[in-house]
Amino acid sequence: MASVTLRGLTVSFDGAGQAALHDLTLEVLDGELLVLLGPSGCGKTTALRCIAGLEHPTAGDVLIDERVVTRVPPADRNVAMVFQNYALYPHLTVAENIGFALEVRGASRADIDRRVADAAARLGIADLLERRPDQLSGGQRQRAALARAMVREPAVFLLDEPLSHLDANLRVELRAELVALHRALGATMVYVTHDQGEAMTMGQRIAVLHEGRLRQVGTPAEVYQRPADVIVARSLGTPAMNVLAGRARGTADSLEDRMFESGSLQIPVALPTYEGEIQIGVRPEHVGVCAVDKGAGNGDILIVELLGNETVVHLNAGGQPLIARLPGLVDVQVGTRVGLKVDRRHLHLFDASGVRIQ
Amino acid sequence: MNGVRRRAVITAALAALVALAVLAAARWEEGRFARAGAVRIARSTAAYFAVVTPASRVDSAELDLTQLFAQARALATLPGWVWPVEIYHGTAPLVDAGGAPLPAAELERVPEWRDGAALVPLRGRSDAATVVGVVAIRPARPRGVAGLLPGWGLPAALLAVGVAAAVAGGRRPRRDGIVAALILGLAAYADVRGAARRSTNDWLTATRLLMQEAATRLPGPRIRVTLSALTPLTLGAGAGGAELVWADSTTQEPRRARVRGTSVAVVAARLGSGRWADLRTSPAEAFTSVWLAGLLGLALLGPLGFAALQWGERTAPGEVREAATAWAFLAPAGLHLAVFSIAPLLFTLYLAVHGPSGGFLDPVRPYVGLANLRAVVRDPLVWGSLGTTALYALYVPVSTALALAVALVLSRPGRAALVLRAAFVLPVMSSGVAVALVAQSFAGLGARDWLGSPRTALLVLMVLSIWTQVGTQMMVFLVGLRRIPGTYLDAARVDGANAWQRFRRVTFPLLKPITLFVLVTGVIGAAQMFTYVYVLTGGGPLHATDVILRRVFEIGWDSLEFGRASALSVLVFVLLLGVTAMQFKLLAREGRVEHA
Repeated sequence: MASVTLRGLTVSFDGAGQAALHDLTLEVLDGELLVLLGPSGCGKTTALRCIAGLEHPTAGDVLIDERVVTRVPPADRNVAMVFQNYALYPHLTVAENIGFALEVRGASRADIDRRVADAAARLGIADLLERRPDQLSGGQRQRAALARAMVREPAVFLLDEPLSHLDANLRVELRAELVALHRALGATMVYVTHDQGEAMTMGQRIAVLHEGRLRQVGTPAEVYQRPADVIVARSLGTPAMNVLAGRARGTADSLEDRMFESGSLQIPVALPTYEGEIQIGVRPEHVGVCAVDKGAGNGDILIVELLGNETVVHLNAGGQPLIARLPGLVDVQVGTRVGLKVDRRHLHLFDASGVRIQ
Repeated sequence: MNGVRRRAVITAALAALVALAVLAAARWEEGRFARAGAVRIARSTAAYFAVVTPASRVDSAELDLTQLFAQARALATLPGWVWPVEIYHGTAPLVDAGGAPLPAAELERVPEWRDGAALVPLRGRSDAATVVGVVAIRPARPRGVAGLLPGWGLPAALLAVGVAAAVAGGRRPRRDGIVAALILGLAAYADVRGAARRSTNDWLTATRLLMQEAATRLPGPRIRVTLSALTPLTLGAGAGGAELVWADSTTQEPRRARVRGTSVAVVAARLGSGRWADLRTSPAEAFTSVWLAGLLGLALLGPLGFAALQWGERTAPGEVREAATAWAFLAPAGLHLAVFSIAPLLFTLYLAVHGPSGGFLDPVRPYVGLANLRAVVRDPLVWGSLGTTALYALYVPVSTALALAVALVLSRPGRAALVLRAAFVLPVMSSGVAVALVAQSFAGLGARDWLGSPRTALLVLMVLSIWTQVGTQMMVFLVGLRRIPGTYLDAARVDGANAWQRFRRVTFPLLKPITLFVLVTGVIGAAQMFTYVYVLTGGGPLHATDVILRRVFEIGWDSLEFGRASALSVLVFVLLLGVTAMQFKLLAREGRVEHA
């Protein structure tokens, strides 16, 4: 097994002014499952391809197990990759697909057969070995692609949105299987996804990428509870965190005096030193409703989503859009005005540029 | 008017229009046969006068006027002779002496048909080039009961119109309309066939009468009439010619018989006491099958139009407009296809089963069945050229491999690759003749005459073809390479495959359908090669480059055997069809490999 280190990795494609990756420094620990999370175009796949050796960085280095492999061809990096569209060779059977890497490396027939059978058995596709990829379902293809990666016992697994083409139920199922597989193999895995659910449930650590830059690395709990900036804050949690832009007002003398004003909301906030434009983040589950004029402000109900175990209410708080997530079925009417409560213990403070203050 | 009545009226009008068209077409063809019959009788009659009339004692190029006069009068009153006839000596009518003289200009240049009469020049005996008069024959009017009957066409037309109206009114099933239309087509065809039959019978009867008369009038000295003396009378027979043989039949009515496997029309002529001869010719009705198809097709336009009307009623106006627009857009392409693809194909098929025509004036070609094909298959040169073509086609795998190699090298982006790609495509865009001429100048270089030697000439053509084909095939491969998703190659690289393994195990298998396509189209193209052979070698030396199309060309245009050339074309077509069918089968199997 091995660790992966990215050191000041920068990738810019010809012609495009903006770099696909900008000075990315990141370490994946030996045996860790690290998730690269970000929206499409954030550079996460580019980073993965750099690790695989399919892409060459403009600057910076890739290290696998402390060895600089920046200029080493993919074949000699001992990494395996699972592609978003699986990339199973359509003209080969499942067995031939899984055994391909062993075959081109000159393994013996018996060795290949044994290891293919092992990998297939492990992923529950032993009875599909003679089929062609186009005769498999999406989930089966995914398992075959995983088996192909596994069979080589690589130092690092690179997974590029491997579940994105599957339907929701299968995704949840395979998610758990992948985690179990990771635990069983003890392998180092870099998992690229845009799905925060996958990131939260699978990653031992999450690295959030945005527009080619690394915003934060940390355990799911860290990243969720103490997002480094507004972008990270909004990329985890559904519905996304409310971020209210407004002004801090008050005197330095009395902490009780200090208020944050945004739209119709007046939220008492413990601001250490800051004055002027700031942003406040509050997750929907920390917003409550009460009688009009009894809370931090009032809001008009725009949309009510009854989900059974909870009710999601979209509000207009004096021009500020706000989402509240209320436990259970709550009887609120669209078009009515309600008072709003904000749980002060769970406020995230960001400066005007979006960086966390505390 | 309510809807049903209105529809019945419109349909009846449509049916009447179609019926009129069918009748008119049939009538026109009947008239053509009547005229052709009269022309043939006139030709035989002119030959008769030339045979039986002694030359003038004054001018050997002229016919003896007294004799001619007597024989012309005699002919007009011959028992059984029903065709109004006039003989002009110079421009003067002999039979009806008071009649209008022939315009002098028409003696100079005799029109074949004028004012309902067939005109044929009358030539003197010793000098066949000199026109001494004109024979004019009018078609006989049918007499007796046959003359009163209007033919089958008219009643069938009335029936078709009536049934169409009934179908439109919903009183009869649509099938009846189709049946009535078919009956109309068949009836009209029966009329045409009858006219064709009549024209042959008329000629046989008239020529029989002329021959029997000639047998008694041949100028002496003679003891017994010989067939060769009467042969000139058969010259009017037209397509297929005629023959005169001694026989022992005594039926003086024209009949049909089979002689040596073909249908012939026969009449027996009595050429003296107990001496009978059979006059045989090919029956005109044997060449009317095209009219059967044509008239049936024309008659079916009625039900077709009715179906279109019904469809138009059932369908929303917008959809009708849309369909009309669609057809209007399709029409030019359809017309192009019909005129330049389907029609030549059908004509080739027609030519392939018909013999040569009787010349420009008599374009009827006798049906010969598979005789052309048989002749072609027995021709050793055809087999030789098939072998040569197969040998020549061996360049295709070579050019395909080259094209694939070039495409692999030039598939990388970059300006140099772009320039090189253009260089490879250049010969594709040049005219084949120009390329061939350039090649000719190259082949003439050096000590050896590459094109002049039977051992190297085909090789030169193959190299030339490789040079011009690689560009096109490379372009196809480039497109095929671009269609292979990059992730397969990425996956192979991560899997540890080197460049050769990536090509051998991933790229090439995924290109298989493309490779197959290039190979098969290449083979088809090779089978159709003609330009280089035509320009460079003319099939030589010693048939070394005599490819199959060059053979078709030679049979057609050098030997003027269009029937055989067409038969060979059809054979080549069938062979290529087999190759193409094979391609489709292989492609269907290989094409299953989707990019999963």
